[in-house]
Amino acid sequence: MKVFYNWLKEFVDVTAPAAELRARLSLAGISVDSIEESVAGPVLDAEITANRPDCLGHYGIAREIAAIYRLPVKPVQPKLKESAEKASSATRVEIESPDLCGRYTARILRGVKIGPSPGWLRERLEAIGQKSINNVVDATNAVMFELGQPQHAFDLDKLAERRIVVRRARAGEKIRTLDGIERTLTKDMCVIADAARAVAIAGVMGGAESEIGAGSRNILLESAWFEPTSIRRTSKALGLRTEASYRFERGADPEMAELASRRAAELIQQLGGGEILAGAVDKYPRREAPRKIEFTRKEFLRVMGADATDRDIEEILSALGFHPVRTDANRGGVGSPDAAWQCEQPSWRRDVAGETDLIEEVARHYGYDKFPPRLPPAKQPAHRLPHAEAEDRLRERAIALGYEEIVAIPLVDARRDERFRPEGVAPAVIGNPLAEDASVMRSTGIVSMIGALEWNLNHGQRNLRLFEIGRTYSLRGGEPVETAVLTLGATGFAREKTVHEAAREFEFADLKGDLDRIGELAGGFAWKSGGPAWLAAGHAARLSLAGGADRALGATGKLSQRVAEQLKLRQQIFLAELALEPLLAGMEAARASLRFAPLSRFPAVERDFSVVLPDGVTFAQVADTIRALGIPELRRIQAADLFRGGQVPAGKYSLMIRVTFESAQATLTDAQIAEFSSRIVAAMQQRFGAALRTS
Amino acid sequence: MAADPTTQTLAELGVDSPEKVAELFGELRRDFDHQANVHSSLGDQEQWRLFVLAWTGRKSGVLTRITENWLRPAGKDIKPVVGQSLNGLKAQVEAMLTGLGALVRDTGESADARDQIDLSLPGVERPIGTRHLIRQTFEDLERIFLSIGFSVVEGPEIETPYYNFEALNIPEHHPARDNMDTFYIEGARGGHLLRTHTSPMQIRTMEKQPPPVRIVVPGKVYRRDNPDSTHGYMFHQIEGLAVDTDITFCDFKGTVEYFVREFLGPKAKTRLRPSYFPFTEPSAEVDATCHVCGGSGCRVCKFSGWIELFGAGMVNPAVYGFVNYDPKKLSGFAFGMGVDRLAMMKYGISELPLLYQNDARFLRQFP
Repeated sequence: MKVFYNWLKEFVDVTAPAAELRARLSLAGISVDSIEESVAGPVLDAEITANRPDCLGHYGIAREIAAIYRLPVKPVQPKLKESAEKASSATRVEIESPDLCGRYTARILRGVKIGPSPGWLRERLEAIGQKSINNVVDATNAVMFELGQPQHAFDLDKLAERRIVVRRARAGEKIRTLDGIERTLTKDMCVIADAARAVAIAGVMGGAESEIGAGSRNILLESAWFEPTSIRRTSKALGLRTEASYRFERGADPEMAELASRRAAELIQQLGGGEILAGAVDKYPRREAPRKIEFTRKEFLRVMGADATDRDIEEILSALGFHPVRTDANRGGVGSPDAAWQCEQPSWRRDVAGETDLIEEVARHYGYDKFPPRLPPAKQPAHRLPHAEAEDRLRERAIALGYEEIVAIPLVDARRDERFRPEGVAPAVIGNPLAEDASVMRSTGIVSMIGALEWNLNHGQRNLRLFEIGRTYSLRGGEPVETAVLTLGATGFAREKTVHEAAREFEFADLKGDLDRIGELAGGFAWKSGGPAWLAAGHAARLSLAGGADRALGATGKLSQRVAEQLKLRQQIFLAELALEPLLAGMEAARASLRFAPLSRFPAVERDFSVVLPDGVTFAQVADTIRALGIPELRRIQAADLFRGGQVPAGKYSLMIRVTFESAQATLTDAQIAEFSSRIVAAMQQRFGAALRTS
Repeated sequence: MAADPTTQTLAELGVDSPEKVAELFGELRRDFDHQANVHSSLGDQEQWRLFVLAWTGRKSGVLTRITENWLRPAGKDIKPVVGQSLNGLKAQVEAMLTGLGALVRDTGESADARDQIDLSLPGVERPIGTRHLIRQTFEDLERIFLSIGFSVVEGPEIETPYYNFEALNIPEHHPARDNMDTFYIEGARGGHLLRTHTSPMQIRTMEKQPPPVRIVVPGKVYRRDNPDSTHGYMFHQIEGLAVDTDITFCDFKGTVEYFVREFLGPKAKTRLRPSYFPFTEPSAEVDATCHVCGGSGCRVCKFSGWIELFGAGMVNPAVYGFVNYDPKKLSGFAFGMGVDRLAMMKYGISELPLLYQNDARFLRQFP
């Protein structure tokens, strides 16, 4: 709310300059964002929290300032020149929906001359960013910004039977509001009606037909209290937010309704002359007795951890209107630990309902800075997340392999998500999206990974290795499911050309090697060919933890040509997505079972075998065949070289296998090695009909 | 000397008296001196190595041969003299080899120095990845709070309205919901939404465990805001909650001040400003001295000297009602920080989208 410094002076004798006021108000809970120097004087931009509708008027701010400086706040005492005729003889008010309208006052003014507002009023309104309309509308607006009470002036002569009915709107009832828009109402909205039709949407906006215009003479001045929830619902449903609805939905002061009405009448008479009928028609079905709240030092100490003096407590609570009365037995004992005060909730502070609320009131005016800081001793050991250590090691490994971590917004394009969505997964769709490209929660991290690769390729970065540890989202039987995943993406050069080495494109083998380096932390990955449709059929694999058939982790491979073309990605893209929980659990299990293997004191021996194999025979088959021989000294089988063409006949390929032998007991003799080799050669020939050449 | 005498025994050489032994050894010493000087002056390390081996090699060095061929088969009369002379020779050989050896190495090093590489050429750069800045910031935050006894917990991002709002004392149609425009999930049985803050984990944690509670909750949160330079559909928060029988506003203040100093540096000061959140009371905005001007006032802090960091406060007793905690006996504090904002502040980033575009040039700036 904009606060005009000079306006405040009408209610409190503040002398502090605006800059100081800004700091003091901020430290008392009225956050002042900035000060603007208008022609009429400084204007403070105050941010009023949702619990303080009383501060949506200068009077409420003045009350806070009075409490800060321990100054008196001046009472509002309008002086009306009322005629003998009573308002009740000129109009009637009926509240049919007291659940929506707790109080309604109507005051009647006759023979008012509508005209422009005088300079002082225009200046005041303009200082706080309001446009001047005419003297009557300006008067009601000024009182709203002064006392926080919205009011509405009706042209009395345009009200059928010159009377007011407060009721629920009829389903489909229509009203053209002051802004010229015709609005259709629903049954749960509250309207102000005359004998015939709705003339205002209660607490939100008046109707165009009963609006005060240049020809208006007689006025019905409404000052009421409406149910906050109802106002909020109505204003939201209509998409219509006004200064009035803003105040009513936060809770206006029902006691203020009558006073504000007198104040507005006084002002209208002052500006436009005319006659004020005596009194007001005041329907107040929901008058509430002031609530009593106790404030004790004991509770203050329990919550705040440090004390405030009796005098501070009493002065602050008094200044804010809580009328504290000491009630404990030790009435005379200053600073007694048992001190207690009975307080009364002021009508403008419905937000203060319990003792903690009062504690906050005292604390904020006493000063948060006066409470000494203290670190609470810890009573329990603190723990990281369950798999935090394993996740650290996984992240470390990915980084060591050259992958940069990304963080993506999981709200993604629905069509994109669908392209990569695992079969049978029901996506978590946003019911009220703001944009098409953020309309579903991703069902796989691949969508985000592709997005990140795409962004970089479009911004001149072509060599990328990225990873993300994030979540995927879906619904299962209407219940949300969130699954943690590790996603990898790579494209471009595995190695760039430098003076030291030649360039090399990232290939499937790089991806496989990287994944196996991750896999070794979890006891190894098992690779099975095949994968989802968005991967290239010949370059796709499903991964699981080695030694566990049903511990499936995810899929990896090269993005299929078809999808790459659709997405206009002109480089080969390699991707992987693994379920995080089983991977981390596997890492923890593998770690727990790590034991030292004695180092052999005897040298290892390597032998190379060049085998010409029919296409279709895999390295794994070859290695398994060798392992099946059960040579205890066998340590390692590597693929050392592979080629096709040349002297190798079509339909076959040449594979060089490097086998390492080592014994823990003795140096292997040439005879032993020769025996192992001949067994391997025989097995190759027998199993694959392989042409063999040892070297 | 003509034929190498050390391949023969003393008897074969006709050496049968101590005098002849002395003469023989004298000849050997002179021979060694000469060779040693020649070899060391060459300055060739390999040559030197072979020379040293020829004399001291364990299998067939001169000294070994003397032991084998001269000493072992020597008669009783001359054996002591042979032994003594041999020891004398050994000492001389070792001393000279050590001294001259150093000389040879020095000469060798000057040869190394002649082969000068271009040091300004970059080395082979092995690609190494980076942790995302948000991750780095979370790790900083978690470490700070772990050090004062806060455990880390996580919760679902797709939440129920109950945990996100109601149990935090934000009933439907509460104006506080204005600042938390919410995405809803279609077809979710519980009317699920994307959590607007990490605060639901306050409730979930207190439901599950009796006090004392001391947790931080890192995670993603969502707001239905039109994206701009400081707002996105998603950002990160870290929630904190401490509840016990003896937690006061002073403990809250001490914890917050500790955090600010740890995170922003020992010079950073803290200020608590009264504020309002439905689930805390008393509530506060936590300000820190402006990182740009150090508190003297500048455009970034709108000339106040302070920057708003996050919202916090003592847990509103109404919240305890939702988790069956006794509000008369328990008290506590809670806070919720925007992690992106903290990271942006600390590293001088003015555009929020940079954090989620994942541009490699950005990622590599924070190794």
